[in-house]
Amino acid sequence: MKVADIVGGVIGILLGAFTYWQSSIMPTDVVMKIGPGFFPSILSGGLILFSILLIVNALKGKSIGTLEPQRLSDKGVQRGLIMLVAAVAFAAVMVPLGFVPTAIIFLTGMMMVMGMRKWVLILIVPALITAGVWAVFEKILHLSLPAGILSDFL
Amino acid sequence: MDFNWGLMLSSFGTVFSPGIVLMICVGTTAGIVIGALPGLTATMGVALLVPLTFGRPPLESISMLLGIYCGAMYGGSISAILIRTPGTPAGAATVLDGYPMAQRGEVGRAMTMALFASFFGGLVGALIMTFASPFISSIALEFGPVEYFALAIFGLSVIVSISGRSLIKGAMAAFFGLLIASIGFDPIAGFPRFTFGMMEMMEGPPFIPTLIGLFAVSEVFNEVQKTGQIQRAKANMDRYFPTWADIKASFKTLTRSSVIGTGIGAIPGAGGDIAAFVAYGEAKRSSKTPEKFGTGEINGIAASESANNACSGGAMIPLLSLGVPGDAVTAVLLGAFVIQGLQPGPMLYKEHMDIVYQIFAAMMVAQFAMLFIGTAGIRLFAKVILVERAILTPAIFVLSLVGAYAMRSNIFDVYTTLAFGILGYIMMRYDYPLSPILLALILGPMAESNLRRAMVISGDDPSILVSRPIAVGLMLLAVASLVMSIRGHRKVEARLAALEST
Repeated sequence: MKVADIVGGVIGILLGAFTYWQSSIMPTDVVMKIGPGFFPSILSGGLILFSILLIVNALKGKSIGTLEPQRLSDKGVQRGLIMLVAAVAFAAVMVPLGFVPTAIIFLTGMMMVMGMRKWVLILIVPALITAGVWAVFEKILHLSLPAGILSDFL
Repeated sequence: MDFNWGLMLSSFGTVFSPGIVLMICVGTTAGIVIGALPGLTATMGVALLVPLTFGRPPLESISMLLGIYCGAMYGGSISAILIRTPGTPAGAATVLDGYPMAQRGEVGRAMTMALFASFFGGLVGALIMTFASPFISSIALEFGPVEYFALAIFGLSVIVSISGRSLIKGAMAAFFGLLIASIGFDPIAGFPRFTFGMMEMMEGPPFIPTLIGLFAVSEVFNEVQKTGQIQRAKANMDRYFPTWADIKASFKTLTRSSVIGTGIGAIPGAGGDIAAFVAYGEAKRSSKTPEKFGTGEINGIAASESANNACSGGAMIPLLSLGVPGDAVTAVLLGAFVIQGLQPGPMLYKEHMDIVYQIFAAMMVAQFAMLFIGTAGIRLFAKVILVERAILTPAIFVLSLVGAYAMRSNIFDVYTTLAFGILGYIMMRYDYPLSPILLALILGPMAESNLRRAMVISGDDPSILVSRPIAVGLMLLAVASLVMSIRGHRKVEARLAALEST
């Protein structure tokens, strides 16, 4: 956790420095001393202060907790990466393709990635979940989900 | 204003007609379901179902909306316990102990306590609202920007007590959260901050998508990696009521949290989420075994659930007596009242005294309806966790993204959810607590806008911040709570270190 804490502290300092710089170039009010940049600059200061404390603590060997190592060859990490790609793809195609086909494809794929091997469930469950979500949002709550390629049918 | 016992009794008579009771039950059931679904909050539920009440008599429609409000506050705890996703922001504090209990196989114990605490808190809130309404509203009436700023600072001081193992990381998360909360137009001058020229960022990060991302999507990323390695928590629904021993052990917490919840609810702007966190922090501080909080402590559930349900009663106090909504849900309720031709505020007490008392009665009946429906459906709700992870995890993800999208039909909200999901996953992996971010998102804008309003009033003289007794009291409380949490945290650390070395 020591290295992770130092990296985290450095990220915190960089982020704080960036927001402080951004706050400092925000316009100041002529009448009021406290402008839009006042509050964020205090917050940036706080973030930097605690980031430094975290690094100091880590260097002193006072980091709390242990970290499970992650390797690319690990099945779990691979599943996580597949999930990440699938999640971004879901968001990207939901509007053009439509909610119903996107959700069915995503659910089928992810169920298989997560180790589901019962073919009956793989065929039925995604359609049921998708239909259920769609019915609740579209029919009961009257919130529109993207229809996409099925816009003529739904 | 004297309490009118005769009118109170006749109001119960009016509310106990089949039509009104049915509407309360329909509202409560809908509320529990909406509350249990992540991404659908009490606010959203009430807003969505307001159109269903058009053309109905005022008492019928308001009774149903009150039912939704109370039901959703409880419903949030179901998903908090079973899938570690607060169904509503107010359920976020319930996650801290509810989910560890579910993982230990104590689903029945956690769920029945959540329901009982919700009922207890709701009833206390409704009673206090009924009897102390004129008094509490007269205090809240005095509040200006200085008091609101002090209140926000007090709320932020609670962060320390919900920070997990590292106070430094908790503070970093809080400042980071406050910075995220400052994205968008600044509250006084309207200057767009940290928007990088994006239109969607102008109003700041959308609250619900951010919440879904941090608490639901991050968990999906986490869960996906674990499949096959962990045993699914058993839904051990072995009871319908909490045991007498559990009630006795948490009775003090229940009573104190209900009073805290009502008090915070009565303060405009502070809702069930803050009430739950403050009550949770208070229960942890006063506990003999604070290190057990966060690992599945029954008092943790009792505190947050009784506080957030008591908050509903509290939030109704300023709504009814001042016409100022106590939280987001009561803001929507305000609109529903106006549709019915009722203008909440001091005049409501004068012109529609009967309606005011009927609302008091309906609020109490709604608590009993919630207890009854919750108990009857408790096995049904617990079934959620029996679903295979390979089905549940992808389904939660789809539901999360749809919930984020459906609020405004905006794909930007979906990307926000994803971004915060990834951020939340990384933060969890490296032990940065997520709850301070949530608290900061609620309290940050409140602290800043009121600080700057106070400074405008005083002409940049900071001494205005210590010029009001209530504000000074709140700030002293904030300092006291900080000092006590830090000392308590040291004690916990020492105990944990002793445990690890043995």
